[in-house]
Amino acid sequence: MSLNKETIEAEIKAKIVEIAAQTGDDASELAMDDIIPATGLIDSTGLLELIAWYEKTYEIPLAQEEINVDNLGSLTRMAEFVLRKKGML
Amino acid sequence: MATPIHVPRINNNDDEVKILAFDVAIGAKVMAEQIVGQVETDKAVLDVTAPVAGYVLGFVGQPEEVVKVGSVMLWLGETAEETIPETRPAVVGVTGSQTSQITAKAKIMLAQNGLQVEQIPAIDGRITVEAVERYLSRQGLAGTKNSAGFATASIPTETQPEVAGSPVDLTREEKGMAATVAWHRDFAVPGYIEIDYDLTLWAEYAKRFQEEKGLLMPPLLPLMASRLVDIAGEVPRLNATFIGNKRYEYDPVNLGFTIQAGESLYLAVVRNAHQLDQLGFVNSLGDVLRRAAGHNLRESEASGATIGFSSMERWKVTRHIPILPPHTALMVAHAAGQGGRGVLGASYDHRVLNGGQVVAALKKLAQPKKD
Repeated sequence: MSLNKETIEAEIKAKIVEIAAQTGDDASELAMDDIIPATGLIDSTGLLELIAWYEKTYEIPLAQEEINVDNLGSLTRMAEFVLRKKGML
Repeated sequence: MATPIHVPRINNNDDEVKILAFDVAIGAKVMAEQIVGQVETDKAVLDVTAPVAGYVLGFVGQPEEVVKVGSVMLWLGETAEETIPETRPAVVGVTGSQTSQITAKAKIMLAQNGLQVEQIPAIDGRITVEAVERYLSRQGLAGTKNSAGFATASIPTETQPEVAGSPVDLTREEKGMAATVAWHRDFAVPGYIEIDYDLTLWAEYAKRFQEEKGLLMPPLLPLMASRLVDIAGEVPRLNATFIGNKRYEYDPVNLGFTIQAGESLYLAVVRNAHQLDQLGFVNSLGDVLRRAAGHNLRESEASGATIGFSSMERWKVTRHIPILPPHTALMVAHAAGQGGRGVLGASYDHRVLNGGQVVAALKKLAQPKKD
């Protein structure tokens, strides 16, 4: 798996687009710094699916207190959090 | 004389169950209705109770063993010194001279209920449908007819469809769903009630909570579920079920919350939810839901619900009538709102709750807890 910021951002965005499509929403215009829950593109169940996928894909088990807007609120923050957890940032 | 405690049937789809644990030791004195152990299927766990007071003489099955429904699980004696009767092999069906005469209908009924003919006391030397029904009623198991006043249900014989097709094995989750709906059909006497309410109060409350705590996940539904836990703590009959013609009020509040993860539908359970404060509950529910979303739900998180909460808001559904999880009496249904008004509904077991009690609970739930 390639672990650079741009690749991670693209992978996460693709997953969000997939999840949003389940409820008939189009997330293809989601910007890197958009606050994901504030966009309304994916609901709480979709966010759970996203986080579960994120933990598994990047092999970073999350503590509940880490699941906050500061760490995971946008595509950029989610990508940077992966790199921080891996000691690559 | 020694009294057997038989392995109970949890639902019609499972003729075998796993013994989870025994809560008593050999030689221990138990009271009538006391819980002596637990058995489980894929999704449901059931407490096994003593039908009479007595002393534990011994166990026939062991924890983690998969055993046949209706087989002997343990023996009780009037004194601790009694000996355990010899147990015959667990075989359904008989050969003429070994037992009482059995009618064809009774034989079918035994097979349907996973029973052995040796378990059934004969009537005038014959095992008849009436004899089987008497036994089922005494054991609190479902039968085809209710002869002792217990609320039981019919077990129709399923016929093969006339149209060509292929049987497909169910996944573990699908088996769990089938077990749940079978309990609802066979045991509960379901009713459904709904009220409408002002969405604004809850929406503002949840938004404030999310901002104050810096949460990523919108906490509206977890906060509503937390409120339901509080209400269940105040009104114990909401957190109950119906066993042996009695209301059985649970000690803990174990909140079951439905979550659709891909093709799988889970009821993720937060155990001892009444012991958690609001943020603790929101975090605990977040943990179990996240594990459900990743298909990693732990066994203890997939069973044991005493009350339920279900939302179909994500599908923009404006009304849904949920199925009651096994051994619960209340399942709240949250749906999408329209024009600032929302709908809160609830399926309930009418053996335990009446409509007025459910409406009162829903009206409380329609408003956040006052700080």
